[in-house]
Amino acid sequence: MEEKYQPDGSPDTQGVKMGRRRLITYLLGFSVVATVAGVLTPIIGYLWPPSQAAAGEGGRVQVGTTADFPVGQGKVVPVNDKAVIVVNTAQGGIKAFSAICTHLGCIVEWDQARQFILCPCHDGRFNAVNGAVISGPPPAPLPQLVLVVEDDAVYVGEG
Amino acid sequence: METQRSLVWRVWDWLDGRYQVASIVDGLLHVDIPRTARTYYFGGITLFFFIVQAITGILLALYYQPSADRAYDSILFIMNRVNFGWLIRSIHSWGANLMILFCVLHLLRIFFQGVYKAPREITWVMGALLLAVTLGFGFTGYLLPWDQRAYWATTVGTEIAGAVPIAGPPLIVLLRSGSEVTARTLSRFFGVHVLVLPASLLALLAIHLTLVHVQGLADPRRRVEPEGEVVAGSAPLARPEQPKRNLLPFFPNYVLDEVIAWYIMLAILIVLASLFPAGLEEPADPLLTPEHTKPEWYFLFLYQGLKVVPRIVGVLLPMVGAIVLLVLPFIDRNPHLAANKRPIAIGIGVVSLIGIIAFTIWGWLS
Repeated sequence: MEEKYQPDGSPDTQGVKMGRRRLITYLLGFSVVATVAGVLTPIIGYLWPPSQAAAGEGGRVQVGTTADFPVGQGKVVPVNDKAVIVVNTAQGGIKAFSAICTHLGCIVEWDQARQFILCPCHDGRFNAVNGAVISGPPPAPLPQLVLVVEDDAVYVGEG
Repeated sequence: METQRSLVWRVWDWLDGRYQVASIVDGLLHVDIPRTARTYYFGGITLFFFIVQAITGILLALYYQPSADRAYDSILFIMNRVNFGWLIRSIHSWGANLMILFCVLHLLRIFFQGVYKAPREITWVMGALLLAVTLGFGFTGYLLPWDQRAYWATTVGTEIAGAVPIAGPPLIVLLRSGSEVTARTLSRFFGVHVLVLPASLLALLAIHLTLVHVQGLADPRRRVEPEGEVVAGSAPLARPEQPKRNLLPFFPNYVLDEVIAWYIMLAILIVLASLFPAGLEEPADPLLTPEHTKPEWYFLFLYQGLKVVPRIVGVLLPMVGAIVLLVLPFIDRNPHLAANKRPIAIGIGVVSLIGIIAFTIWGWLS
């Protein structure tokens, strides 16, 4: 291929479509980008944590027996690494709510004397029958979870 | 019309106007190396494997759980559940072996070229310590998966240290954090593997590379005139108007070759890790010794030596060898570099090398 040169001796890249120098530069740039992408892809994939397998069928976990949750009492139990509060009230019966406060993520507790769910961090109060906010800063009610009683066993599922 | 410089160049100008980065980079890259220097890129390749080990090691530490209860399960988790976990661990495993291999090849190259001699004595000593640290990485890292092979290789390996006269029994307790290999040994090895050794290696490497940079690469064809020998590198001695015809620029000539070598090594690493991924045996059981308990290949010659010669010889000979290796430039005062003018050093070197290889193969087959 005939190459033209400018007066100062450098190749005239205006005249040809793709100069040798530019082609090499593109190839080099492509190699660098391909290498970086090839190395970063497994690293980023590795850093992203694998999803936790749900325990048992439908993520259902036995949290105790009915004897563990007498009327007028509540208890925080773990379900698949997450905190769940199981309460048993005269009005609402036995129910399960997420124990993670909707305000800033503290774990709520059962206020035995006043019979409601209390977040100790900022005095958020929740109704033990439907999880609704009674007072305090929480912006939303506690999500209710599926609770099933079979014979004596109490199961809580995430669904 | 004046075209605007690209953003990269404007950032560069901004930095250079404040911190003179151009002169720093110039000082680092624009050194000359002897045209006759033959490095085979072994040192640079060892550095490459260290970088690979640092990156994959950090990644493994993000999932690994250093306790006897959890270590084995966390390795299983990395291998089976984490995306690319098998690849990262297999690369770390293969990278460890290759780093030791190229560290030894680098040492052999320096030894047979005789370029450890004045004025490069300290560079050699730092290099020998780097090899010791690298072997320490291999030894401590081997225990971390906490499977049968890890447990018993460490039991056998620390037992070798116990054969050292007088200091042996306390040394064993110090290594194992007790008289047996237990959960406390695992904590100790993990701490040494991820904190003590990396810090040591970085410090030694900084000195090693600084010295290489200051003196430049050695010319194995130089004549015996140590006083005026420093002609390459960045030291003031190297800078006066030397005739340039026997020198090559480090950048881009040498750097380009080194990058090609690194690419080839990366390819080899990925192929090995993919075809022969790191395995995992049964969980460690202190009450059941598996058959064929052996240390890693780089300790096999020590292991085999201990089996066939009297214990005291099998321990003292490698210790003396290690000390001689460490202070070699101060023992070997022969100023010549050419192999035919240093028959004693080359002779001892060849015999030792053949002995180590023979014992390694013997240990492998036994």
